[in-house]
Amino acid sequence: MELGALVVTQGSDGTQQIDNSTLPVLGKTVLDRWVERVQGLGINLLSVVDSDLLGSDRLHTMIDWAKKGVDQILLILVGSYSDVDLLDVVRFHHEGQHRITRVFDPLGPLGISLLDRQIILNSNFETHKLGPAGPSTRYDFLGYSVRLSSPSAYRKLVEDALEGRCDVKPNGLEAERNVWIHPAAHVDPSVRLEGSCYVGAYTRLNPGVVLRGGSSVEHNCDIDIGTTLDHASVLPNTYLAPGLCVRNSIIDGTRLENLDRGISVDLGPLGLSGRKKPISIPSSTPSVIRNRSLGETSFCVQVPIVPDAVERASTQVEANGQ
Amino acid sequence: MISNGMVVVKQLPDGRAKRERREFLAEVKQLARESYRPQLIVDLPSRKLTSEVLDLLLSCAEQMEKSEGRVSVAGASPEAAVILELTQLTSVVNVFPSISEAVGIDASRFGSEDLNDGRHLAA
Repeated sequence: MELGALVVTQGSDGTQQIDNSTLPVLGKTVLDRWVERVQGLGINLLSVVDSDLLGSDRLHTMIDWAKKGVDQILLILVGSYSDVDLLDVVRFHHEGQHRITRVFDPLGPLGISLLDRQIILNSNFETHKLGPAGPSTRYDFLGYSVRLSSPSAYRKLVEDALEGRCDVKPNGLEAERNVWIHPAAHVDPSVRLEGSCYVGAYTRLNPGVVLRGGSSVEHNCDIDIGTTLDHASVLPNTYLAPGLCVRNSIIDGTRLENLDRGISVDLGPLGLSGRKKPISIPSSTPSVIRNRSLGETSFCVQVPIVPDAVERASTQVEANGQ
Repeated sequence: MISNGMVVVKQLPDGRAKRERREFLAEVKQLARESYRPQLIVDLPSRKLTSEVLDLLLSCAEQMEKSEGRVSVAGASPEAAVILELTQLTSVVNVFPSISEAVGIDASRFGSEDLNDGRHLAA
């Protein structure tokens, strides 16, 4: 039985400033983690598209796959992270001979569906609706899940991952309990890492820096002398000035999101933070390129990311809007 | 004559005007010289924090400390409050939502009178 998987990112619809699924969480984006899990099922037909792409185009992709003999399509709308066992979802779908299986947690649908070929072939192309199949079957998941709808949700996922409350494994080595450092990071001996925290690849923590409270610094950042991070996340390619105290915040370049007050502050004019030039080193060929083996136009293009020194399977893809 | 516990409310000058900043700091120095434990309340409504303003606040705090006084910032926007916390200026400057709240704390301990361009509340 052949399976295909269509992973749909949140995209930028103009209302949401950041697509949280493309933000790294302890070294890898949620999108990367979904892609890896799909690949872990042995699915060799995988496409990652942006939600900005017309629904008709997405449906067209699935119909093409179905016509070419794909039996089931796993559709993942990346608006959340969950520890759901995809293999168990496939098994549940198969054993129950369901036509559509949708994954729910206690809060509602998680955006994960498994669709039978016949349902897709019966789709109404005009209305972008799947064909009539009766009610979908509900797969209830009671494990860890979080909807990535806000900066607070992002921080929750980071802290839960560092505390081992979910299956997100930091991309680094565990230097001590819940303290994860990527081998390519530079951490001055005077740096204090208190409690759980993460330091990403090619990031530099200068003398006197303090990380505490589940703080994370993603790849290619530079935290200057004496700055303290407390319940804070620093996103890739960010420079932070010396002597700052960042609490309950997320900093991305010159933009600071303060979670206590729910406001965004531009630190650029004050010179308190800045954007570093991204490191662009091509990663290994992502498996999504396999789309082309079916002789169709791929939605996916490869974009360079920081090489993964710990797990070389890391890949990142983005939609090219075709 | 040294005044005890004088409370002064002043508008912060525009961060870009160097001469105004210098004059402002001169007045603060005079306040620090002529009083013991003075309280300088800086009115910051709608004032966008610049690095010059942060420098000025820090200089004011230094001057006030010389006479065991304190600087308070009143009416700071949420964005300004975040920056004051981020730069750890809150360790040397008190932050209040409004002048009345900043003054209220001190007015319970001190008397008041009006002087110059600022409002002075003296013991």
